Amino acid sequence: MNGRVPAADSLPARVGDALEELRAMLDRASELARSLEAQKSARQGVPPRQIAELELRLADVVSDRQELSTKLADYEHQVGRLMNLYVATYQLHATLDPSEVQATIAEIAINLLGAEQFALLFWKDDPPECEIALQQGLDEDPGGFYQKGVYSGGDPAVDATLSDGVLRIGPIDGSEALAVVPLTVQGATVGALVIMKLFAHKETLRPEDRDLLDLLAAHAASALFAARVYSTTDRKLKTLESLVKLVRR
Amino acid sequence: MKPKKVLVVDDSKLLHRMFEMMLRQYPLVHAYDGREALDRLAEHKDIDLILLDINMPRMNGLEFLAAVKANAELARIPVVIITTEGTEDDTERGIQAGAAAYVKKPFRNEELLGVINRLTASSAA
Repeated sequence: MNGRVPAADSLPARVGDALEELRAMLDRASELARSLEAQKSARQGVPPRQIAELELRLADVVSDRQELSTKLADYEHQVGRLMNLYVATYQLHATLDPSEVQATIAEIAINLLGAEQFALLFWKDDPPECEIALQQGLDEDPGGFYQKGVYSGGDPAVDATLSDGVLRIGPIDGSEALAVVPLTVQGATVGALVIMKLFAHKETLRPEDRDLLDLLAAHAASALFAARVYSTTDRKLKTLESLVKLVRR
Repeated sequence: MKPKKVLVVDDSKLLHRMFEMMLRQYPLVHAYDGREALDRLAEHKDIDLILLDINMPRMNGLEFLAAVKANAELARIPVVIITTEGTEDDTERGIQAGAAAYVKKPFRNEELLGVINRLTASSAA
């Protein structure tokens, strides 16, 4: 083929350059073809048993890679789950303001559990009733259990959890609740978080949600209790300080 | 290469804390509503990505998004809507408003990280 191409120096400069490029390209193509031929003969020279072994090893490597990839996805999922638990605990105990603790409980319910309707219930001493400290989406209350800021009783799952302090996850016969989380301080049940409905795009509570519900059971009440005690003590202290100032005048 | 700077706009302190843990490789700028987020954008001219909640006080996410897209300088920044409003209509509304992606709360961390990595990589290209 080279014989039919005129010498580059007998042609105008641009055409000459193009021909030089073409020749270089043909040289590279021949080089590549030789290399491929060499590889093909090398493979033909390898005994079939060795090729089979190599293929087996390759299959092993591919399978290991898939297994590692599955494990990595699983670890990432576990890391995400632990991160949620850490952040929820951190945020619950990050403040001594009762309203902020309540807001955090609501944020956990909404953002981490996907709760659309829920109520946070707390026992009160005077009068002895179960107040609704916080609620969302309870405008629809077909059972009429949650009225005028008070849980009047009647939902079997909520009543049972308030009495025995056991976490219940629905569906529960005769109950509107999807989950009832006891709120306990030093072994005593002081209230409950009742989840009635999840967002439409979250069909059910997932296995990892159980960890969050357990965390709420263990930490939400103590965080809120500590904040309320601090708030009451702080208020009393400020009153006393004002009185002392008055007396000193 | 300079790490991508991310503006987090959400009224939940819990989620701000969560993003701090999740996105350690990105410098974060925090805002708790749309109006504060516009102030942060004026202070930080090098924001590469915005993570945006919808339901917020003062100025909600969609109002903020409209303001961002109306500003030629800011319109280039990809916005990821992260919200509990999860219906098809909501998603459509967010995308129509100019969001680059829409993630429903509660999200799996790896899902959100995938979206963020994809958007920061494509904005670098």
